[in-house]
Amino acid sequence: MNVLALPVLLPLLGGSVLLLLRRSAVRRAVATAVSTATLLASIAIALRTFHGAVLSVQMAAWAAPFGITLVADGLAGLLLLASNVLALLTVVFAGSSLQHAPVRGGSALLNRARDAFGAQALLQFLFMGVNMSFLTGDLFNLFVAFEVMLVASYGLLLLGGELPQLREGFKYVVINLVASALFVITAGMTYGLVGSLNMADIARRVAAHGPDLRLTVLAALLALVFATKAAVFPLGFWLPNSYPVPPAAVGAFFAAVLTKVGVYALVRTFTLMFPGEHLLPAVLLALGGVSMVVGALGAIARRRWRHAMAFANVASIGYLVAGVFIGTHAGMTAALYYLVNSVAVIFVLFLVAGLAERVGGAGYRKRGHLGLYPWLGAGYFAAALALTGLPPTSGFIGKFGLVRALLAAGGGLRVAVATAAVLTGLLLLYAAMRIWREFFWGEADAVHRVAIPRVMSGVTAAATVLLLSLAVFAGPLYGLCGTVASQLDGNAAYSAAVLVPGAPPREGAH
Amino acid sequence: MELLLPLLAAVLIGAGVFLVLSRALIRLILGVSFISYGVNIAILLAGEGERRDAPPLLQLAGPYNDPLPQALILTAIVISFATTALLLVLALRAYQVTGTDHVQELADRPDPVRPPAVYADPEYPSVSPEIGTAADIDEEDGA
Repeated sequence: MNVLALPVLLPLLGGSVLLLLRRSAVRRAVATAVSTATLLASIAIALRTFHGAVLSVQMAAWAAPFGITLVADGLAGLLLLASNVLALLTVVFAGSSLQHAPVRGGSALLNRARDAFGAQALLQFLFMGVNMSFLTGDLFNLFVAFEVMLVASYGLLLLGGELPQLREGFKYVVINLVASALFVITAGMTYGLVGSLNMADIARRVAAHGPDLRLTVLAALLALVFATKAAVFPLGFWLPNSYPVPPAAVGAFFAAVLTKVGVYALVRTFTLMFPGEHLLPAVLLALGGVSMVVGALGAIARRRWRHAMAFANVASIGYLVAGVFIGTHAGMTAALYYLVNSVAVIFVLFLVAGLAERVGGAGYRKRGHLGLYPWLGAGYFAAALALTGLPPTSGFIGKFGLVRALLAAGGGLRVAVATAAVLTGLLLLYAAMRIWREFFWGEADAVHRVAIPRVMSGVTAAATVLLLSLAVFAGPLYGLCGTVASQLDGNAAYSAAVLVPGAPPREGAH
Repeated sequence: MELLLPLLAAVLIGAGVFLVLSRALIRLILGVSFISYGVNIAILLAGEGERRDAPPLLQLAGPYNDPLPQALILTAIVISFATTALLLVLALRAYQVTGTDHVQELADRPDPVRPPAVYADPEYPSVSPEIGTAADIDEEDGA
């Protein structure tokens, strides 16, 4: 058994077992154990990739272009590690929150029903889909992984069947189904045109074929699909209303990780499969700039905790997409560091928002909570600084790197995006500080303190410590991102690990 | 055949898009199904040119049709079957909860407002936990 398959197989087995267990406490223990084991496997994979190795395994020993390939390079290792750390935290947080009412004064029955109807199992299937998306080396398997991930996310979004869930869930499902239809048709057309679905093999054939308008169309279709999943500006209208709908822990994982899967797929498309395209990355760079500003404005406009955070997530995705498509080594390095930072920041913000909604309701205009919940305020303060990009947080380091790379690369578009990045920082600062002023600051309206269950505040504190450690260990982490970025440049190691040397490409019809 | 199948795929996807844009949930679901049928035919067409001499395992005389697009279609059919079932359940549930299958009416229905904790004294619940009061709505945006 190769360790590469474990992050996919463990959640699959764990989720299946969880469906059979009837006692809530047992489910909690099993889910935590499975996620811990998955995390350990991810650490084992990530540590090996961080030394520059590219791991690969061919399922059932079918050679590369024909069999199912799992590959882990530095990028996959980094994302695998980040998402599985959050997965464990999510499982523990959800284990506690599913025992309590969503809000004080509400009924715990709804969450208990969610627990009884398989919320923990669905979470495991979600992790399976996410891990498989990062590890697969095959375009069609990427589609299958997306579907596993999305079907689990439909379940998690809809479990409970309340009106907002039904309304936003319907939009979420339909948009993702249409995007998936586009994805599968693109995969079919790629096979018809290029003659392969293995990503490394596609890269080899595309490079051998040279520039072709039909290949650009394929790349554009893939960009359209992945940008929809990543919620880049004109395609991300589904996100801000749907991510606040599920329970806090689930929403936090969705916001922190699921959109990044889209970004990951965009990176794979344009660094590995279609590195020759120039117009599309420029378009995505510009859209990233627009996403930043739109997200920040939306975060200012919204008066509800998690709705504001969901828009902040769009802004964060904007930085990320812009950074990935700067097109230089420094840009990719900064984008990867910002990616890790963004995953942690958004996760902490959504957890804090979930706890704040628990004690104060969905709207944040209720003053004076700092005196009652000082630690919640501290967690929010740290995450808000990292979101806006103020020193000494990791957000500052990431954004500084991005802006410096944008200006160093030069050109009118990049300078414009750099301006947007700085401007968005100010807008986000305004949005974050307004929540601070309206929720935490001022004379207390509330008279009695609502207890926050220990496990929930513990998980939030752990996530905040992780976020702060990204700034403390910024040096080694930034160096690591540099290594990963140089691996992505050319992808020679990736192709060498997947394809059998010397095997000639299969002759297609072209 | 060369022209018929592409036309069929185009008509199916076009009809699907038209239905997805309509305002009744059930038509929307039919639209999604139509799109997936069109997509399946399109994938079949994508593999049309890929004829090879011999199957990889059996020692038979060629040419034969490339089985890979068919495998892709099989996977896509299974997935779209499951998601269509999910959508149907979702539409049914939405109809049961709201009494309408019209998209606009569903969107206009205000969320049930949950009360902030300070209002919900467990000893003397002044507002229903599930419904809240009109005053709570002012605290939140109407978007």
